[in-house]
Amino acid sequence: MKTKLLTVIGFLVATFVNGQDYKIAKSAGRLEVYIGNVEIEGYAGNEILFATKDHDRDEDDRARGLRSINSSGLEDNTGLGINVTTKGDVIEVRQLKKMNSPEIRIKVPKGVTVYYEHQSQYGGEVKFRNVEGEIEVSTHYNSLEFENITGPVTAKAIYGSIDATFTDNVKGPISLISVYGHVDVTIPVSTKANLKLNTSYGEIFVAPDFKIEMEKQGELVSYGDKISGKINGGGMTIDLGANYSKIYLRKK
Amino acid sequence: MEKEKLESLLIDYLDNILSKEAKEKVDGMLADNEEARQLLQELKVIIGALDNSQPLQPSASMQRRFEESLANEVVLERKSKQIFMIPTMYRVAATVGLILVSVGIAYWINKNRQQADELSQLKTEMEATKKMLMAMLDNKQSASQRVQGATIAYTIGKADDEIVNALAKALNEDKNTNVRLAALEALAKFYQEENVRQLLIKSLSIQNDEVVQIALIQVLVQMKEKGIVKELEKITRDTEVLKAVKDEAFTGILKLS
Repeated sequence: MKTKLLTVIGFLVATFVNGQDYKIAKSAGRLEVYIGNVEIEGYAGNEILFATKDHDRDEDDRARGLRSINSSGLEDNTGLGINVTTKGDVIEVRQLKKMNSPEIRIKVPKGVTVYYEHQSQYGGEVKFRNVEGEIEVSTHYNSLEFENITGPVTAKAIYGSIDATFTDNVKGPISLISVYGHVDVTIPVSTKANLKLNTSYGEIFVAPDFKIEMEKQGELVSYGDKISGKINGGGMTIDLGANYSKIYLRKK
Repeated sequence: MEKEKLESLLIDYLDNILSKEAKEKVDGMLADNEEARQLLQELKVIIGALDNSQPLQPSASMQRRFEESLANEVVLERKSKQIFMIPTMYRVAATVGLILVSVGIAYWINKNRQQADELSQLKTEMEATKKMLMAMLDNKQSASQRVQGATIAYTIGKADDEIVNALAKALNEDKNTNVRLAALEALAKFYQEENVRQLLIKSLSIQNDEVVQIALIQVLVQMKEKGIVKELEKITRDTEVLKAVKDEAFTGILKLS
């Protein structure tokens, strides 16, 4: 039975790897991603796997035998339109073109910290799924979606929104901030946390299941809407901020 | 015979305590001595008077007093038997007292020491907390650890210069926005400290993170820091600045003026 299962898993992995263009053996350390369109998924393995979602990005017969070069000085060393460089414990992933980012899927082993940064407006939605390591994000235009992650996570978006659902095993701190986009977060109802929900011109919505013990505010008068309090007796830090938009806190 | 001697002899004669010979001698003397006979008569009268005189009866009250004092003496005597017990009792009482006092002192000393222990423990804990939060703020590998460090700084009651400076450094230089925001949150808690106030004002002119700029303007406006209006005006004229920051600067100018 076990062998059968292993065979099946092996087959699945093989299938995945077959459609896979690039991989790096790495089960710890830090992955830094600087590309506009990306989906990052956590998995139980010890290699970082890179694949493209662009199926029409087929072989260019004309380019056969040639090397892709560009002004950034980076070389496409993956065949995916991205450059992957290892610098000590850090793996940097960069796109070659300033504007058009290829759509990349990256699978990361648990225990690898994921850093994502993208300033340009030529980017799309960035997804993180099942990631069990720490996530750190800084973007201007991208919207962020975190699905079934554990945390800890710190994320900032200027124009993009942030949506996040957490696993039952949440790890703090969680800090999710957007200036113009909404912040929509789903956590288990039993999460023990010190909450800070902060909006200047937006609104805050919280599931009634969360009984917030409001913390006494300091002497400073807040002009916006700022809520500090504990849920389930307090614990990890959860900071959610949306200056011009809404904050939603839902129960899982 | 001298009179005194004769008198004492006659008294003894009357009391009938003389020897036979002395008695005969006194008889002979009385027979031929008028003076002696007269003296004897006188003595008889005196002694008779003495014998007949009322025996001195103590008054009833005196007797009562005497009896009372006697009874007291008796009681005292009985008590004196207990006096023998009293030192034992005293000793027991003293021992018990001593034990109580010792226990009390021991408790007090112990409590004092406990308090001192607790104090030093608290101090050690404070030091440990400080060390931990400084190390966390300095963790270049993990932004969440730095956020956590700033959050711990927020929870401590009093921040010394070292912590304040570390927070100010995080506020102005950390490459992660969320860390900067957490540091600002912690610093803003100590806004009444002059050095913190100055650090916050200074940070506005050097802050290059849009999200933090917005939060910083909000904090300084809440502090009613009118001195920042010029800096806010400068921000509103800056073409590079994010619109949200400009909007916040305009709002700040309105609220402060």
